[in-house]
Amino acid sequence: MSNNEALIEEIVGAVIEGEAEPVTAGVTRALEAGIDAETILNDGLTAAMAAVGEMLNRGEVFIPDVLWSAEAMQAGLALLLPHLSDAASHSAGTVVVGTVLGDVHDIGKNFVGLMLSGAGFEVIDLGHDVAAEVFVNTIAERGAGFLGMSAMLTTTMPVMAKTLQLLEARGMRSGVRALVGGAPVTQDYADKIGADGWAIDATKAVAVAKELT
Amino acid sequence: MDHPPEFVPTIRLTHLTEETKRRIFEASLRVLAEVGASVQHTEGVRLLQEAGCSVGADGLVRVPREAVERARSSAPSSFTLHDRDGFPAMELGGHNVFFGTGSDLMWQHDLETGEHRPSRLDDIARVARVCEALPHMDFVMSGAYPTELDPRGVYAVTFLTMMRNCSKPLVIVAENEVDLGAIIGMATDLRGGVESLRERPYFLAYVEPVSPLSHPAECIAKLLLCADAGVPVAYVPAPLLGATSPVSTAGHVVQGMAECLLGLVLHQRRAPGAPFMFGVNQGVLDMVSGQPSYTAVEGFMNYLTVVEMAKWLDLPNWGISGCTDSQAMDAQLGLEAGELTLLSMLLGSNLNHDVGFMGFGLTGSLEEVVITDEFVALNKKLLGGIPVDDVDLAVDVIATVGPKGHYLSHPHTRTYLRKGPSQWRPSLLNRDNHDRWVEAGGLDLREKARRKALAILAAEPADDLDPDLLTACEARVAELTATSEVGSA
Repeated sequence: MSNNEALIEEIVGAVIEGEAEPVTAGVTRALEAGIDAETILNDGLTAAMAAVGEMLNRGEVFIPDVLWSAEAMQAGLALLLPHLSDAASHSAGTVVVGTVLGDVHDIGKNFVGLMLSGAGFEVIDLGHDVAAEVFVNTIAERGAGFLGMSAMLTTTMPVMAKTLQLLEARGMRSGVRALVGGAPVTQDYADKIGADGWAIDATKAVAVAKELT
Repeated sequence: MDHPPEFVPTIRLTHLTEETKRRIFEASLRVLAEVGASVQHTEGVRLLQEAGCSVGADGLVRVPREAVERARSSAPSSFTLHDRDGFPAMELGGHNVFFGTGSDLMWQHDLETGEHRPSRLDDIARVARVCEALPHMDFVMSGAYPTELDPRGVYAVTFLTMMRNCSKPLVIVAENEVDLGAIIGMATDLRGGVESLRERPYFLAYVEPVSPLSHPAECIAKLLLCADAGVPVAYVPAPLLGATSPVSTAGHVVQGMAECLLGLVLHQRRAPGAPFMFGVNQGVLDMVSGQPSYTAVEGFMNYLTVVEMAKWLDLPNWGISGCTDSQAMDAQLGLEAGELTLLSMLLGSNLNHDVGFMGFGLTGSLEEVVITDEFVALNKKLLGGIPVDDVDLAVDVIATVGPKGHYLSHPHTRTYLRKGPSQWRPSLLNRDNHDRWVEAGGLDLREKARRKALAILAAEPADDLDPDLLTACEARVAELTATSEVGSA
């Protein structure tokens, strides 16, 4: 293993451990060693988050571990950003997330937001009880390419359809990839209302969002 | 090898008052002193007389209170079984809880085919190997009777097969003092001497007198041989409720205790301080079918009472877990094996055998052993206790997060999960949503347990017994087989 590979491995290990300080130290040393910032991002930070996601799938780590890894990853990313091209630093995209109007359940949505953030998305979290107009206005203001809507009640699910209709009415629908989720929401329902993606849980949500980039 | 940390439940079940326990004990003493018992062993009767017992004109031995009390005071309240390598593995006593398989099953629920077929010698090796791999199976009892073999020397062959395939302590049965002698001989070879075996016992012998109140010659002979060699022995009658004992729970326990305590008096007279295990099996005769049941609710009632009496007597106890009357790998199996196992853990029952028994103790199931191992693991978490210190009360954490926040990224959550009590993870029980479960093959618990057992058995057997030791043991088995006659004592 070369010195550079060893430095990248250290960063991967530190992200998996979820400790921000060793991650920033590792990124600093990697930059000093002249390793390309995109390589540090892709082979270090992003690869580590993918590994943590796999570990979660295998039951080897807990959700809080993944969130700590995501925070450590973000700390490293902040150091890298000045060295990255615009395209590389925003490779994943911006996503507006929220729990729809009438629904106050947001732990699942929070988790999805944190996971997306860990995967390199810029996440704008509108919280819960979010009206269709608020979703659409925020997308317009921030130029977001992704929308993530959550509903935990069958009675609030129609707000998802309404939001998509509003995007359509404003001529914005084709520029936004819309993801839906929540306990009662199914792939069938997502298809029915014309959403672009559905995921059963937070780790799958990241995979679906990445497929749509 | 490394043994899991000793498990002592902090959440416990008790149902008898001090007064009730004393009444049960006093009733047993009356049976011993007034009714007496048939002891069919000359030396045994002589020793009992030395211990203060009398022999009536009816030939029955009557045991006075003083003899019982003397035996109670000399018997150890705990003793330790050691593994094959000589390391301490199971401290039997107090509320320490251990699990393992049972013996002599004539049939197997075949792991590959699911068919009901006769047991073979190879099944004993498989039971031993599965138990070796499972972290919450602490000891091995044969799990099968090799029906294809000549009965001569069969228990010595069984012992050697277990010893070759597992490093955990063993629980054994023997036909008489001759094959028990050969088994003790093999354990002596393993330890390198009689005194070494006495210091670090490798196995416990199970001896079962005949209810009601009958102590056959070969039972007494085995009991005395264990006392002489310092081999721990469980002297455990198996009265059947309403058939070979009174139909009432209390009456069942009173008689069973009288039978067991006679063994204790004799054993402690022969070798004061030698390791002895108390117990009464919980059997019930089904009064419609005539079938003896292992998991009738009345049996559970017997069991609860007997284990509590063992704690009161301060003697290590013989227990039962992980078994069912069901003939299938079904929900009844899960219910019954689970209930019995949980009761054992709540009671702090010490040596819990018969894990993997189906169909009234006639059929063995390795799936059931694997499932019980998982059940024990989760209940060790449950009954290990619920900490309530400042960190657990977490008021500061609640204040930090506040209304509408969440705890997923709070350091408390992560530290607790990583360094603290963690969150117990199943290896078999489903925690997947429907889609993920389907994606993973849509397997039920039974099939997952079957595959886990098959995966354990797919590994190359260790069979790492020292070649010289193996040769010595095989010679003992050969000698026994050549000289013994079927059914001889």
